[in-house]
Amino acid sequence: MPVYEYKGQGINITDNDSEYKGYFDAASEHKLVVKKCQDCGMLRGEPGPGCPWCTSLKWEWQEVSGKGTIYSYQIVAHSIIPGFRDWVPYAIVLVELDEQSGDPTPDDGLRITANLLNDNMEPEAEENVAIGKRVEVAFLDTDDGLSLPQFKLSNEAPKGEVWRYPV
Amino acid sequence: MTGKLKDKYCIVGVGETEFSKNSGRSTRALATEAVRNAMNDAGLNPDQIDGMLSYHGGDSTTSTSVMYDLGMRLNFYMDCSGGGSSTEALIGIAVGAIEAGMCETVAIFRAMNGYSQVRIGGTGAKASTLVSGPDIMKRSYGLISAVQSFAFTFTRHMMEYGVTGEDLAHIKVAHSNHASNNPKAIMKNRVTIDDVLNSRWIVKPVAHLLDCCVETDNSTCIIVTSAERAKDMKQQPAYIMAVQGRGTKPGGEYHYQKGPISTVAGHYIGPRLFDLAGVTHDDIDVTGCYDAFTYTTLLQFEDYGFCKKGEGKDYVRSGAINLGGRRPNNTSGGHLCEGYTHGMNMVIENVRQLRGQVDDYCPEWQEGKHSHDYSEGKCRQVPDVNITMNMGWAMPAVGSALIMRR
Repeated sequence: MPVYEYKGQGINITDNDSEYKGYFDAASEHKLVVKKCQDCGMLRGEPGPGCPWCTSLKWEWQEVSGKGTIYSYQIVAHSIIPGFRDWVPYAIVLVELDEQSGDPTPDDGLRITANLLNDNMEPEAEENVAIGKRVEVAFLDTDDGLSLPQFKLSNEAPKGEVWRYPV
Repeated sequence: MTGKLKDKYCIVGVGETEFSKNSGRSTRALATEAVRNAMNDAGLNPDQIDGMLSYHGGDSTTSTSVMYDLGMRLNFYMDCSGGGSSTEALIGIAVGAIEAGMCETVAIFRAMNGYSQVRIGGTGAKASTLVSGPDIMKRSYGLISAVQSFAFTFTRHMMEYGVTGEDLAHIKVAHSNHASNNPKAIMKNRVTIDDVLNSRWIVKPVAHLLDCCVETDNSTCIIVTSAERAKDMKQQPAYIMAVQGRGTKPGGEYHYQKGPISTVAGHYIGPRLFDLAGVTHDDIDVTGCYDAFTYTTLLQFEDYGFCKKGEGKDYVRSGAINLGGRRPNNTSGGHLCEGYTHGMNMVIENVRQLRGQVDDYCPEWQEGKHSHDYSEGKCRQVPDVNITMNMGWAMPAVGSALIMRR
């Protein structure tokens, strides 16, 4: 794959990147995927080479719904990447996907990091960012041909307590 | 069970360079000065140091340079990749290297032009490199700096336990008061709760500017040897009762896939440390708790058990961590005020506390004479320090810890 220019950074997704290339290949078709173990069937949120549940090295990409809940968040007020300065303040969210939530223990979940964007694919207003709000995947297609999985607020009712720090 | 190496090794020399924002020299020059200062502090000649350890993030010099610059020959050295929490880990590795017979006395150094050359988070000299591997999943989303990488843990902890920015500000205020009595500190001014809360946001809701440490040019050095050899040396040794190095949470780098993300590594390694040292929290007189950000300090107090989970906010507001309090923390001003050293300065400070020779503004500090007047520009020596503890932090999932006695 080429080196993509995105917000002043050279994003280098190499052909031998056995962790992340498939994630972005799927994103280019507007699909969100995670790795699934071909032995025990468990999904994993970080697409590493081994299964954290059974150590199997056999995996395949599995498309997921792209629906989830904000598990934690941050609002970057001071960007140290120059290309992100016109986005400030922007939210980075840790989204817990609906698949395999709380399985096999209540603390486990498939958690994906991305920005929270609005319908114009610009940063969501910070007062709308809160733990517990429901989100769905959206794909940001750059001029360079890179597709980045991102999230937008959905119309679904929140899951559990909605919390944001009042600043 | 109490550790079999308890009290058998010790720190016999400490030293550093000036803390500045523009050293105007190489990390090799800084490291050479810091190692030389620690050597002189210990009263050792170059031929009495035969081991060297350092850590770096591609931003430092090598042991094989510093040994040349000070005329040494080494029986053992390693230059390790690492950042925060490496200090305590390398102290443990030094003990292991000596115990294995690889060498007798080890100088551990860290050198960095952390402000003028390579900034934390890969800006400055490293900014133009291509983004690949795991960094793609962070930098493509504008996530690069240390506080950004910790923020999901901090925010979630705020929700679960009701922590406020004002709670966190108490940590900065305490450390700034301590720094005002430290001639070496890069930020000596005492600040107020309002100063912290009114400083500009870096990452909401977890860090204002004054919740963040001060990136610094500096080098630091700690010399470790056996208690047996230390008998003939110049300084009162700081005995290593127990050490834990770079213990992790489940999930390691990807701990946020496992949870609970508001718990940090100290929860897992703390009990091992106290068990090896054979002491309890009540025995600890002074703490050095890593303050890259105010929040790292608060979380570690909880997870190492100095208070219950969720009561870190009450602990830091209680006055316990202030000079004059029950268990002062980061009496040098720490990373928030003295300077950012990746943990070395907090161990150095505790060694000096144990000796009773903290370098404050008391005219006769070198003789161990202190006023214990903690008002601005005066003393920062805690009276009768018997046991200290350091809590090093790399990230929520990785930490190190050390208990020393005099």
